[in-house]
Amino acid sequence: MLDAARPAPIVEMRGIEKAFGAVQALRNVDLVLYPGEILGLVGDNSAGKSTLMKILTGAYQRDAGQVFVAGQPVHFRSPHESRDVGIEMIYQDFALCGNMDVGQNIFLGRWPRRGFFINRRKMYAEADTVLKRLKVDVNSVFQKVESLSGGRQQSVAIARAISFEPRVVILDEPTANLSVMATERLLETMLELKKQGVAQIIISHRLIDIFAVGDRVMVLKRGENVGDRFVKDTDDREVLEIIVSGTRENAQTADEARAI
Amino acid sequence: MTDEASVRRLPSQLVGGWETGLLILLVLLYLGGAFVNPAFFGSTEAFHALLRDSSRVGIIAVGMTFVIVNKDLDLSVGSTYGLVAVVFARLFAPSFLDLGIVTSVVLCLLLGTVIGLINGVLVTILKVPAFIATLTILFIGRGFVLALTHGQSIYYPAKATEHPLFFHLGETNLLGFNNQIVIFAVVAMVGAYVLAKTRWGYETFATGGNIQAAAYAGIPTNWVRIRAYLISSLCAALAGLMSAAQDKGVTPLYGVSGELTVIAAVIIGGASILGGRGRVAGSCLGALLVVLLDKVLREGWPITRIIKIGNEEVAVNAVFSLPVGAVPVFLGLLLILAVLIEPYLIRRQVAARLWAWLRGRPPPPAYEIGGIAIESVQTKGAMTTDIALSATGLGTFLARRDALAIILTVVLWLTGLALRPDYWWNLSNSFAILLNYTELALITIGLTYVIAAGDIDLSVGAVLALAGSTAAYFLKVLGADPATAVAMGLLAGMAAGLVNAIVTVGFKLPAFIATLGMFYIARGLAAWFVAGQQLTGWPEGYNLLGRKVNDILLHYRISLPDGLLRSVAEVVSVQTIWMLLVALVAGIVLAYTPFGQKVYATGGNVRAAAYAGINTNRVRFLSLILAALCATMAGIINVAYFRSFNPVAGQFRELDAIAAVIIGGGSIFGGYGTMIGALAGAAVITLVRALLQLNVQGFAMPQHWINVFIGLILIVAVLIDIWVREVNLFGRLRAKLARRAPATDTTHA
Repeated sequence: MLDAARPAPIVEMRGIEKAFGAVQALRNVDLVLYPGEILGLVGDNSAGKSTLMKILTGAYQRDAGQVFVAGQPVHFRSPHESRDVGIEMIYQDFALCGNMDVGQNIFLGRWPRRGFFINRRKMYAEADTVLKRLKVDVNSVFQKVESLSGGRQQSVAIARAISFEPRVVILDEPTANLSVMATERLLETMLELKKQGVAQIIISHRLIDIFAVGDRVMVLKRGENVGDRFVKDTDDREVLEIIVSGTRENAQTADEARAI
Repeated sequence: MTDEASVRRLPSQLVGGWETGLLILLVLLYLGGAFVNPAFFGSTEAFHALLRDSSRVGIIAVGMTFVIVNKDLDLSVGSTYGLVAVVFARLFAPSFLDLGIVTSVVLCLLLGTVIGLINGVLVTILKVPAFIATLTILFIGRGFVLALTHGQSIYYPAKATEHPLFFHLGETNLLGFNNQIVIFAVVAMVGAYVLAKTRWGYETFATGGNIQAAAYAGIPTNWVRIRAYLISSLCAALAGLMSAAQDKGVTPLYGVSGELTVIAAVIIGGASILGGRGRVAGSCLGALLVVLLDKVLREGWPITRIIKIGNEEVAVNAVFSLPVGAVPVFLGLLLILAVLIEPYLIRRQVAARLWAWLRGRPPPPAYEIGGIAIESVQTKGAMTTDIALSATGLGTFLARRDALAIILTVVLWLTGLALRPDYWWNLSNSFAILLNYTELALITIGLTYVIAAGDIDLSVGAVLALAGSTAAYFLKVLGADPATAVAMGLLAGMAAGLVNAIVTVGFKLPAFIATLGMFYIARGLAAWFVAGQQLTGWPEGYNLLGRKVNDILLHYRISLPDGLLRSVAEVVSVQTIWMLLVALVAGIVLAYTPFGQKVYATGGNVRAAAYAGINTNRVRFLSLILAALCATMAGIINVAYFRSFNPVAGQFRELDAIAAVIIGGGSIFGGYGTMIGALAGAAVITLVRALLQLNVQGFAMPQHWINVFIGLILIVAVLIDIWVREVNLFGRLRAKLARRAPATDTTHA
């Protein structure tokens, strides 16, 4: 019944395997993401969260398994290819150039041009539009990024990501370097993005953030799926229990858990 | 083997496979030399001379090992060595201060300590990149050497005989070998044990391997690095005293490019320019190898030359030797190759893998190399508050990064006017300044791109000389026409730029070490081309590249009518017009096109730029090529202007150009720099040089001191960049004072 009401998944990963030398980082991992959904990806250190995301963006190559984006099978060889189909990743350290201003950073590497020259008027106007759409307050698009606080820098990184009009945004530990206030603002921004239909995957150690904005939480342990829950149906105690003592054998999907 | 046995037999820290290989290579090389040239290498005399001359290099190499293991670099050792010998001569020689031997030696060692301390403090506490700080100290030291000797030798053999105890250190002892070898052996032993077996050494390896981890572990990393600079400078001072004891005199050429020999020795000895690796034993063997190579190159090798006398052909024994100044070519090449050995051979275990492959075994497991990135200097200063946005009116101008350069240009020019109102305002003086300015500005244009992209090019002055000498060689020796000469000059300069770019970008070496190698190679090649010949007197057609517009028109028999046009043509040179044209194009590209933005993005954060799809390698490659191209054009014009090639062309130009870019708002860490700023910075340097040469009421500053002064300006400019622009020291002070003021108010209330 539930499945019928739900749209087709935007991202689907099936049976992903990845080994680094003798270390099996991922074993037969599945992941589903629906449009407009915020999925929390949690697990202990070395659970394989980042590896799974890097396979999705094409930074790593999978050993086995399939990836579908909007139903189409894909095989990205680099992050640039995944960006072309609308998957954006925001790195923990934001990957911005501190010596350049906000507008230049939002359009880093693809500055709009007029003839041989940069079209600065258009660049700053569009940067302003993107920032407005995010409803974040960065004083000015002319401000150098190195003079911004950590939270503001992250806003610029997100603005940069959504200026590509992505369908999926992956946030790697987005709240790790942020103050309480900045975290609040980030969570608002994520809800704003969700309203605009952007699916998001958030890798985080802080369950509280995922419970604040997430729709679903997926747990990885030693490279395996050990559980999947709707945020509405669960609490942090249960998720912690799965992280610590979940096994593949008694893993339940979110739907199964809801059916019980 | 059981665990217990492997624990009982600890791996040696003093020597390893690399040292054994070096020793074998040395023996083979020496035997080869003895076979080819028995007259020179066959005698025990020669072997003794090799050991004696290696002693001084070896001692400095011992000190340098500490610095390089720390992931630092000390380029000032050669000039420290020379300066100590000169200062000793000034103190001791009867014709100067005529001090006692003990006083002189103590003062010289004190000088070494001070230089080491300055290096260390600049690099650690003041956070100046090691290569730029010690390069400046190198030039300042060299300036002092010239200024203190007035370019002449000082000898004191008579007084030396009164102090046999000290001067015997440089002579052969009763056992039949030179005492310097004993000193070398002692220094090497102590150095080897300290680096390999003591806490000092362990702290050095930790600091070089991962400075942050070392600091977290409670190691005083600043002190460890300052200590290494002190050791290095004191070793150089000791070597300088040994040369004084041996020669009982000094020439101003002592220690010229000594840093090259020493650094090459240490790197060949197995130390890593990326820090954390190195052994004193290897460095000593490296020193022997480099000195042996140097001797072979200088001595030449015997050849049989066929000479026709009348109708008879006579075989004559001759010696093929390199011209003076050509040896650095090979040492520079050796430096670049040696620097590549560590990351590409040792760290990838090429030997072990080849051995396994030959035996059909699986290759040994690779080292974990993820943590050690081979990157150039990419540290960023702390954040500044963005003053520019809140400022208005005059404040907007003052907040610009190039404001300093523009204000200084005006102030310096007005100073010149105030000092010599009769002369400064003169047209001839103004255009003499403009001509000096043109050469520097042209080099600065290219260097702005390199520094903005986060790299550095230390070879611009040498590339200028290489291009100039190539053009002159083709014109004079080969009798080529002007167009060919220009093409060949461009080709030579471009080849140098290509090597810079390939070594830096392709092999991922720090730009400063790659271009340092090129600095010696290009200068050596230039000296090689002109060896023994006065390169001057060629068709005037070529020289038109450096003439005034009116002269060119007259050459083509066009005479302008009297009037404004003619007056302008009489004073403006074609190279100035060319420079302005290049500056205009380069400035527009840097400021307004995607390529310029890519340069800034690469310099600001190379990883972010790569994520954004920018081909950062291409950007850095093109920037380095552009710098070489600009230097090449300056060299071709230089030769045309002087109508001859002077081997000192472009000397100290790298210093001028880097200072110009930094004063003009560039950051030594990359990501900043504008064309207007760089041109203004070049104007500042040109005006400083012109002012220093100015004769004010019969007093003129001696030429030798000017380079000391320019070196000081560079250091001050870098310090201002780091501490005022990046860290915003004044802003912080103001904030602190502002916070304190209300606090006192409330206590009163």
